[in-house]
Amino acid sequence: MLEKEIIDDKQAVLLIINMILPTALLSLPAITISIAKRDAWISAVLATGVGLMFGRLVSSLVMNFPGKTFFEFSEEILGRFFGKIVGIFFIWWLIHSCSEIVREYGEFLSTAIMPDTPITVFLVVSAIISAYAVKSGFEVLARFNLLFAVLMGVFVLVFAISFLNVKFTRLLPMFDTAMTDILKGTLVPLSWMGEVVVFSAFSPVLKNCRSVVRITDMSILLVGLHFFIGIVGVLMIFGPEVGSAMMYPVFNQVRMISLASFIERLDYIIFMSWVIGGFIKIGIFYFAAVIGVSWMFGLSDYRPIVFPVGIIIVALSVLIHEGIVNQLDFLMNTWPFYSIIIFETGIPLLLWLVSQIKNRRHSA
Amino acid sequence: MILLLLLLFAGVILMEVPGMVKNKMWRELAVFFIFLVIGMGLSIPQVLGVKIPNPTKAIEAIFKPLSDLIK
Repeated sequence: MLEKEIIDDKQAVLLIINMILPTALLSLPAITISIAKRDAWISAVLATGVGLMFGRLVSSLVMNFPGKTFFEFSEEILGRFFGKIVGIFFIWWLIHSCSEIVREYGEFLSTAIMPDTPITVFLVVSAIISAYAVKSGFEVLARFNLLFAVLMGVFVLVFAISFLNVKFTRLLPMFDTAMTDILKGTLVPLSWMGEVVVFSAFSPVLKNCRSVVRITDMSILLVGLHFFIGIVGVLMIFGPEVGSAMMYPVFNQVRMISLASFIERLDYIIFMSWVIGGFIKIGIFYFAAVIGVSWMFGLSDYRPIVFPVGIIIVALSVLIHEGIVNQLDFLMNTWPFYSIIIFETGIPLLLWLVSQIKNRRHSA
Repeated sequence: MILLLLLLFAGVILMEVPGMVKNKMWRELAVFFIFLVIGMGLSIPQVLGVKIPNPTKAIEAIFKPLSDLIK
């Protein structure tokens, strides 16, 4: 299905970063800060460390089964019946998280930017654009993603300007929060890092599957750096109380920039890069779900089912939450367990263990 | 609203089905309709204002003991 499409290592790294980052910078700083208070940055560092292990787990699976997608190697490891069951669960998770992302984006656009437009408009439009991207193929998605790398440079510049407002004393006293709170704060960033597992649905597109370890390490480290800078920035500008009370603190942080009362309203630059990043994130999850479905039914081409899956994603995204508060509560209290335990470590770890045992038996 | 939705479904069918029939992709056609019907089942009741069960509520209920731990 994906045989003809190939992307290089740099594109893969950027793609993984973009698979995790866009929604993370929206809602993650506020959630982490509300749990781990002033020491939320320690949570980000810890999450990066554990995230690297997640990345290693996924990459060792990909390396042991070169040229196979997640769905194909789970079938090979667990056999036809259990492989399909794991596949069904994974497809559900992909579709659910995709509608979660679509909703998050719609909520962001309607609450922060365009409050008078009904949210359904954003949900439908973002799904249609992503459907078009998915239909055009994986290479197109990866190349379009390069555009985001350029925007990222602008993003860093704007972010650097916003650091003129920081007060380092807001980070003091350090290590004041209880260790348990810091650990609890690690869970939410970790559930985002674990999304790296989605990339294993596309592993055949890699030019050289030996380099997958470097790709995942590099991208997790860069994502961790972003988490860290995002959280530290919010902490040093707003402090833990105000920062956690805001819905989108990073956005407000950039909104506050006023350089010589001339350079102002830079928030729309950030907004632009987030919207583009968001489409790519939706596109990647959407694509993985479509690949899963076409593997499930043994289809020769995935394109015909793109629209039906998209309709399910939009319908679910309307259904799953009553509002943004509801969703943030879900993302904070349920989502980490749901996705980390079952999909981001549980299933990959099970696959890895069974494949190791099988290997042992073969060699013995 | 409901008309708009039905129009959307009709548009998707018109866009995809002729190509599949021409290339004799019957398997794809079957899966296409299965997923389209699921999509209809999820979207039409919502437009008509009929309550359908919310999957996140079930997930929240399953993980309640664990999420109570971190509160």
